[in-house]
Amino acid sequence: MAAEDLPSEFDVVILGTGLAESVVAAACSRVGQRVLHLDRRSYYASNWASFTFNGLLTWIQQLQEESQPKEVPDWSSQLEEGEELIYLSSSDSSASICNLQVFCYTSEEDEEEQAPDTTEEETVRAADEDAVQEVSEAESAETREEEERRGADKGQAAQTAGEEPEAESHPHAAPSQSEPAKKKLSYAQLVKEGRRFNIDLVSKLMYSRGSLVDLLIKSNVSRYAEFKNVTRILTYRHGNVEQVPCSRADVFASRQLSVVEKRKLMRFLTSCVEETEEQTAYNGRPYLDFLCDQQLGENLQHFVLHSIAMVTADTPTEEGLASTRQFLRCLGRYGNTPFLFPVYGLGEIPQCFCRMCAVFGGIYCLRHSVHCLLVDKHTNRCKAVIDSRGQRISCSHFVAEASYVGAERKKVATPTRFLSRAVLITDSSVLASDSEQQVSVVTVPPIAAGCPAVKMVELCPSTMTCIPGTYLVHLTCQSIGSAYQDLSPLVTRMFRTVESHDKAETRPAVLWCLYFNMADGSGTEVEGHDLPSNVYVCSGPDGSLGHEHTIKQAEFIFHKILPDEEFCPPAPNPEDIIYDGETTAATGDTQEEEQSPQKQEEEETKEEEETKEEEETKEETKEEEHLQTEE
Amino acid sequence: MAIRELKVCLLGDTGVGKSSIVCRFVQDHFDHNISPTIGASFLTKTVPCGNELHKFLIWDTAGQERFHSLAPMYYRGSAAAVIVYDITKLDSFQTLKKWVKELKEHGPEDIVVAIAGNKNDLGDIREVPMKEAKEFAESIAAIFIETSARNAVNIEELFQKISKQIPPLENPEVESNESFKLTRQPAPSARRCC
Repeated sequence: MAAEDLPSEFDVVILGTGLAESVVAAACSRVGQRVLHLDRRSYYASNWASFTFNGLLTWIQQLQEESQPKEVPDWSSQLEEGEELIYLSSSDSSASICNLQVFCYTSEEDEEEQAPDTTEEETVRAADEDAVQEVSEAESAETREEEERRGADKGQAAQTAGEEPEAESHPHAAPSQSEPAKKKLSYAQLVKEGRRFNIDLVSKLMYSRGSLVDLLIKSNVSRYAEFKNVTRILTYRHGNVEQVPCSRADVFASRQLSVVEKRKLMRFLTSCVEETEEQTAYNGRPYLDFLCDQQLGENLQHFVLHSIAMVTADTPTEEGLASTRQFLRCLGRYGNTPFLFPVYGLGEIPQCFCRMCAVFGGIYCLRHSVHCLLVDKHTNRCKAVIDSRGQRISCSHFVAEASYVGAERKKVATPTRFLSRAVLITDSSVLASDSEQQVSVVTVPPIAAGCPAVKMVELCPSTMTCIPGTYLVHLTCQSIGSAYQDLSPLVTRMFRTVESHDKAETRPAVLWCLYFNMADGSGTEVEGHDLPSNVYVCSGPDGSLGHEHTIKQAEFIFHKILPDEEFCPPAPNPEDIIYDGETTAATGDTQEEEQSPQKQEEEETKEEEETKEEEETKEETKEEEHLQTEE
Repeated sequence: MAIRELKVCLLGDTGVGKSSIVCRFVQDHFDHNISPTIGASFLTKTVPCGNELHKFLIWDTAGQERFHSLAPMYYRGSAAAVIVYDITKLDSFQTLKKWVKELKEHGPEDIVVAIAGNKNDLGDIREVPMKEAKEFAESIAAIFIETSARNAVNIEELFQKISKQIPPLENPEVESNESFKLTRQPAPSARRCC
């Protein structure tokens, strides 16, 4: 069965199963194109993939092994009159992933529980001092940097204390009564429960009114997945993790803000919604200047700049305002924050689009690649491809993820930028609260001049990405150095590792962590490469929090291929599919699942669409009341 | 009566009749030509079970099994899996073990497993003895039944058996797991005042 050949004729051949490629695949298949979708890896979603713990270990191992450039056979015998060959890149994802470093801070095997020893001088914190909280941890961290460097040897690290008290780092929490110490999960347990982890290579969130959510809903691909709200937005400053009030309810319930600040913040956020002349006067000038002139005060300025607009001090005002508006627009659609997260992780989303493609007849084959393109010399169009088994497959369009295209053919305007990533498995939340099931985004402004701003996402077990008793923490920033250089200072400050100060008991302990750099896809162009005109390049993940870049790119490619077709019209509801009863005479056992694309349900879909539109208008009028100021 | 949605995923080699089984169950219809796999995200049918209604959402492989490329998301949240083989093809029975392993690897831990030997209307060219299949099913604590989608034999029974094995709903207030679907209607916002 493994030897079954692929069909030899398609409309669109797509290489790579990342988000952009998968959306293009679904969109093409949906409107009746014959799609062949391949990936040379053994898993879906390319650099957007999510892995079980064991799957991630395998992924790391494969990348660390020196990958010999595979020899590509000479396929020139397959050339026909007037054709030439273009070879694709044969190396694996190694070019897009580098600087992998793994640290394990928990014991290899189960250990005996030790007696709790709770001396928590750090937990009692001034609750009413709002702005400046002197925390010894933050200061001393500065001087520890050097030790960290030396202490951080790769691999299994020695262990500090064998127990830890329940994290109680909430500024307003009462000093904790010494709770019974939790038993620290061992590495063996992480491996044993490994299949219950879903660890994403990419850390992004879905804006509730962003283009990905809109597309999921519009296409009905949303029915393949479930989502959770991001429940809170946190920020890290003065060595503390604080909650950022962002919805109206939050603002008024906030205990960090004074009454005056609450009024100011509401007035400011309300005024942001509409563009005013006052705002446009600041165009080109830093957003920080604009915020300063709004007399918000240091507290609110920090919240708006870093946690709501999520920009840096030198971002131009028009950009900062646009981000602020996007944030506000997305509030209250599903929950208290503007963000959603897919249950089982982001790696589900490309798979959902692939399923939609398959449901409409697209053919899927992992561990299968394309070696070269056959190009018509006269038209400069790709006529066919040669797959990794030497089969000639004709196609009218070819789409490939950037890593399949050799560097010599890519148009490189700027040197490839990288993202620094860290993935931590921790034992408690960075900010303890009543509920253990919080999904948090933490914005971290540069901890020192020249350091990157870091976006952190903390996932709880109910997102089905980690096991009970753990949290999965993703850190992402634009890379300056290696991921370890960029992110480990912050990890040491916010969490407890072997390098941390011994007064760090209140912070979450890191059980295991991984650092790596991934190529930033935001610089890759769809066209303009040294490639035939009907070949399109999809970029890998970019560093922004949302998915706007990728979805825009996928839609652009789709319209290049099919200028007159609708992008991802809704798939029919299961209940609406009508089977016509013209059964032909039964002739044996040919109940094959093989099919050719049919458009029979297209008409039903149209009707459905109309009613959906009505619903949508209704929906829109129902919202937008979350941002009005009180009185 | 409370309606419970139960996802059921179908597994098994290409051509054993997975789609035909669903089509027979949902539409009471059998057709060689029209492939219901096309355009159908999943098919649904509601059956009563005790004092509950079970709404089966039956997911087909959409052909992704053909080149061994089923996505892990296919298994997510399944209450039950039906692994289908063709009683006239020994190969399709021998790969059952592979599907069971795949399910153990990717499927939910408490999933109800059913094994269906399809095409039992073609008993005269049978290659898989019923006894052997039954013993295998017992060894993995799976439901076993032989079916014929063509003659509508044991199809209802297959799903009834699954229904009975579904554990009764626990406390409906499992608050920690309030995930939701995205629909055109805004989801009822679970906004809490802090």
